[in-house]
Amino acid sequence: MESTIPLSFDRITARKAVQAERRRSMLIDLGVTLATIIAALLMGFIVIALLGKDPFLAYEALLTGPITRLGRTGRWLELATNLILVGLGVSIAFRARQFSLGGQGQMVAGAIVAALIAIYVPLPPLLGVLIPIAAAMVTGFLLGLLPGVMKAYLRANEIVSTLMLNAIVLRLYDYVLTFHLKPEGSATTRSLPVQPTAQLPTFYELFGVDLGRFNLGVILVVLGAIGVWLLLERTPFGFAIRAIGANEQFARYGGIDTRRVIMLAFAAGGAVSALAGVHLLLGVHRRLFLDFVGNIGWDGITVALLARNNPLLVPLSGLFYAYLLVGGDRVEQQAQVGSELVQVIQAVIILLITAQVLGDWIRARRARTQAEE
Amino acid sequence: MPSPLLVPMSQNTPYIVEMRDISKVYPNGVRANDHVTFAVRPREIHALVGENGAGKSTLMKILYGMERPSSGQIFVRGKPVSIHSPHEAIALGIGMVHQNFMLVPSFTIAENVVLGAEPVRRRLLDYKAAVAITRQLSAQYGLEVDPEAPVEAVPVGMRQRVEILKALYRGADVLILDEPTAVLTPQETHELFTAIRQLVQSGKTVIFISHKLREVKEISDRVSVMRNARLVDTVDTAAVTEEQLARMMVGREVFLHVDKAPLRRGEPVLQVRSLEYVTEAGVETLKGVSFNVHEGEILGVAGVEGNGQTELVEVIAGLRPATAGQVLLCGQDITNASPRQVRQAGVAHIPEDRLTNGAALSMSIAENLIVDRYERPPFTRGGLLQPTAIKENAEWLIEQFAIRAPDGDVPVGSLSGGNMQKVVLARELSAQPKLLIAAQPTRGVDIGASEFIYEQLVRARDNGVAVLLVSADLSEVLSLADRILVMKDGQITAVFDNTPSLTEEEIGYYMLGVKRMSAEAIAARA
Repeated sequence: MESTIPLSFDRITARKAVQAERRRSMLIDLGVTLATIIAALLMGFIVIALLGKDPFLAYEALLTGPITRLGRTGRWLELATNLILVGLGVSIAFRARQFSLGGQGQMVAGAIVAALIAIYVPLPPLLGVLIPIAAAMVTGFLLGLLPGVMKAYLRANEIVSTLMLNAIVLRLYDYVLTFHLKPEGSATTRSLPVQPTAQLPTFYELFGVDLGRFNLGVILVVLGAIGVWLLLERTPFGFAIRAIGANEQFARYGGIDTRRVIMLAFAAGGAVSALAGVHLLLGVHRRLFLDFVGNIGWDGITVALLARNNPLLVPLSGLFYAYLLVGGDRVEQQAQVGSELVQVIQAVIILLITAQVLGDWIRARRARTQAEE
Repeated sequence: MPSPLLVPMSQNTPYIVEMRDISKVYPNGVRANDHVTFAVRPREIHALVGENGAGKSTLMKILYGMERPSSGQIFVRGKPVSIHSPHEAIALGIGMVHQNFMLVPSFTIAENVVLGAEPVRRRLLDYKAAVAITRQLSAQYGLEVDPEAPVEAVPVGMRQRVEILKALYRGADVLILDEPTAVLTPQETHELFTAIRQLVQSGKTVIFISHKLREVKEISDRVSVMRNARLVDTVDTAAVTEEQLARMMVGREVFLHVDKAPLRRGEPVLQVRSLEYVTEAGVETLKGVSFNVHEGEILGVAGVEGNGQTELVEVIAGLRPATAGQVLLCGQDITNASPRQVRQAGVAHIPEDRLTNGAALSMSIAENLIVDRYERPPFTRGGLLQPTAIKENAEWLIEQFAIRAPDGDVPVGSLSGGNMQKVVLARELSAQPKLLIAAQPTRGVDIGASEFIYEQLVRARDNGVAVLLVSADLSEVLSLADRILVMKDGQITAVFDNTPSLTEEEIGYYMLGVKRMSAEAIAARA
């Protein structure tokens, strides 16, 4: 086939230019991210000083808190594990541009089903861990499927349906725990501990290094991040998710069964988010009690957004966010700065970083307008 | 700061607008304007032509205050100015009519004309005054509109006149018209040209951006040609031929006619039987449409946009459900099949709106090229995508379709309109379809790419593909189609064999509903 394009277009030069441009924009991205973090820390610094507290003391606590005592390091890593697992799950649906907020409910549901097995069914080692994990994933999958079906076939807004489902699941959890799992005569509302074979061993139990409750569940993070990356980038299902996220009409026009893919994206996300619940159960608390998951389902969404739904960046953003949370606790104790203020600093940092996401969006828009001209 | 010596006195300049040595470099390094000097005389019709991506829109956006130049100066009536916003441009008497109209559909024409600068009485909109103003402007410039009709109820041609009136109401002396004829029928284009001439007679200046050289020849006094971010030349229109202009635009000879092998019509591939489509809102947009497309022929569908063509294409492609009737592909019933089933039956589809349907701008070229086949070998094997196969496919198609891109990894959104369309074309043709639906295949595409797309469509036809071409550009239909079908109000009103004696005007009568063939004549030919 003969080319009818003027030959003035030099592909090799253009390719080199594009590659140089890509390297440059990566460096710029990195620089901007660091600058935003520094700027946010500075703003927090000023706020604390204005309130008459000692900003140096507060910042020392924030920045070094998680690493100056092994126990706190353990707390940091344990929290990061949870956040990363939820973040990975959430990012799957987000990539299909579905704002599933169901992480919290999926965690809880996964934990409770896993608990029924882990507490009451004696299993041999390894299976004792693997079966509750599988059960939690199936539960998360099904719980994710529900808003997926509602969105894909009934056009129910996923934000509303996932929020409502969270509320239902959390109440059910309280009910099952209080009236069925709590042993007779127990003073506190909590379940029996899981079977010894169902425990994810901590690093203390394994190597004698006292990293608190930080445990082998971290393997789930490694497998999860690689698995979600493979799913999104290397499977046809992931391709369909990304195509829908990029332009749903285009995906439909191209022959992708968008409803089915959207539905399954919700479900797959649920399966991964449920891993956080099972990690809490088998590795961290080893039993159920009221308010077992705290805020993790929500913070996991922030973690996914910070990582721009890139599964390979989610572990980084999870570590970062957990560091802020643990350091923040330390500030409260050390500098007598109220927890609200700590949250403000965290919010400023998150805002500035997500604002950079906005910057990317603007850049993309710009490139598009230029292309259209 | 410019040296005062370089600033001409307002009396000495022959130009109403002069853009001097304008460069525009975007933050990502793209140079859209490269030392462009562009000058417009008062009361002239000045055409600005160039391929997509040549920089004409950027230049006009700079003049209209939507973009800031990286360097260079702008003079209006000889005075140096810097224009920071459309608001300031309007204050300087510069108005722009965009390709996509910026009107409020539910407002009346009069309300739209005065919107943003409303006549007020007791702090409320003085609607009577708005109507009177619109009437008066309409009469003064020969731009016929119905001031009290809501914009959504009037045809495209009238909406365009509303846009022009809006600019005039704000005191525009210089009117920039961005591809104004793209959406018009030949008759409407004719009316627009009459109006433009009248505007110039009453002292206005018009800058006319276009791809269509024939129109440029017809309407303009002078023409500036842009290529690759530079202004190639400004010449008197009378002194150049269409071919010379085309050569200036692309830097080489172009052949605007299409070489076609003699028609070898085979079996019917697509059979559409009494197709009906009613929108969710209850509007009947297809009313009993029946026709065939045969192997090795191009069937052109002409018609003013919005007469059912879009729905026809989307129903066939499986994107909308038919209300009644049948669609057969090589005898197989594909009525209301899913888009994937339709594609697997052998239908390829170049969609009308490539930005919404045809491409995912943030995805790479390579990914866009496999959206219809990503889950099949060689792109997926053993449940996993094969990056090497995907990359090789992209490299091969980029080469074959002369897509101007450094590699398959660049996002489609960074390509020019013509190259974006080539990505779509490459995907659809490489699917080796039995039926190719091409809806507005060259809209917003430059001459070089249009010519390439024509060649590809004709080549597909010569290889025995049935081609259904839907286009609002009559000259495109006339130069490509073997048969032409005219749609009006969701019905077929005429079917012609494309003979040399068939004229745009004749087809235009059927498009506007002035004439229509008998049902028997249509049935016999469709």
